Amino acid sequence: MIKEIKDENFSSTIESSSTPVVVDFWASWCGPCKMLAPVIDEIASELDGKAQFFKLNVDDNPVTSTQYRISSIPTVMVFKGGNIAETIVGFRPKEAIKDLIEKHI
Amino acid sequence: MRYDIAIVGSGPAGLSAAINARIRNKNIILFGSADFSNKLIKAPKVNNYLGFYDITGTELKAQFEKHMNVMDIGVTTERINNIYAMGDYFALMVNEKMYEAKSVIIATGMEYTKPLKGEEEFLGRGVGYCATCDAPLYKGKVVTIIGYNKDAEEEANYVSELTEKLYYVPMYNGNYNLRNNIETIKDRPLEIQGEDRVSKVILRNGELTTDGVFVLKDSVAPNQLVPGLAMENEHIKVDLNMKTNIQGCFAAGDCTGKPYQYMRAAGQGQVAALSAVSYLDLI
Repeated sequence: MIKEIKDENFSSTIESSSTPVVVDFWASWCGPCKMLAPVIDEIASELDGKAQFFKLNVDDNPVTSTQYRISSIPTVMVFKGGNIAETIVGFRPKEAIKDLIEKHI
Repeated sequence: MRYDIAIVGSGPAGLSAAINARIRNKNIILFGSADFSNKLIKAPKVNNYLGFYDITGTELKAQFEKHMNVMDIGVTTERINNIYAMGDYFALMVNEKMYEAKSVIIATGMEYTKPLKGEEEFLGRGVGYCATCDAPLYKGKVVTIIGYNKDAEEEANYVSELTEKLYYVPMYNGNYNLRNNIETIKDRPLEIQGEDRVSKVILRNGELTTDGVFVLKDSVAPNQLVPGLAMENEHIKVDLNMKTNIQGCFAAGDCTGKPYQYMRAAGQGQVAALSAVSYLDLI
């Protein structure tokens, strides 16, 4: 299971990390998000140490969701040095997501 | 239960895939319609299906039906909304219900609604296909729903509870069962426009300023059905073994390209089934 990230620690976490930070924007009412969650979990364990993985609940964290203008979920963002390096909107197969994350490692 | 092969589509490609997979003793499920294919039952005369000179579409359909019955293959008449490649299996969603299969054959034909101009460009930047998924993200904003069927009305009613303003653009005729706060726009949408994200919908006789657009269709393009599926123009990209870019996912028939013919579809369905069988032997 990957850790939750919140409005309070979002900026500090993505800026201070020396490895890419992957954030899965989700909510409990979103079906495709539920399907994506185990896929992200698997990728996180396979890329352990090479990237940090978090999930952000858009209902509970409106500041971050608004700042990054999340308009569809699931959205997976890859941050590097505090900046967006990749945005993946909607469900994607595991290999496709892993490839896009590995590009930034 | 996890099936060996889920076949989505009951035209000649899907049926041929089903009989070949059954001959190879695979545990299959076939999704489609009781009529098999609308195109088939509408064909007045078929003269290029080997062995069946001068046959009508409905006669050919009856032959297919006999063949399916002999082999004890039934059609599950449920509509698959989404297929998710989970890694070592596929999740096939029918509203809240889910089927699981180790491999999938897409044989959905070419009957999907073409995207509007700007629809794909702004996907995830104001354009969405799942109103119930994304509606809470538009709290207090202006949303436009382009609805292709009655089901879209129910979603519109739900979304209107959250939004500041909801426009409903029906793409069909009938009585619309919508809440009073929804504005129905009887006009034809031409294009979705914006800068970095959606700002308006251009109609034949005007335009709507909007923060988001949900396009709710009867049937979706294959890459909406299977997120991540690679396309080549409007067709699914396949190799000679009917493999797609997603491991364990195969495609056959009109959805893979021209010419749109029964024998090509049936042949491809057979190749796809045999490829799926080989794939199952490997995993």
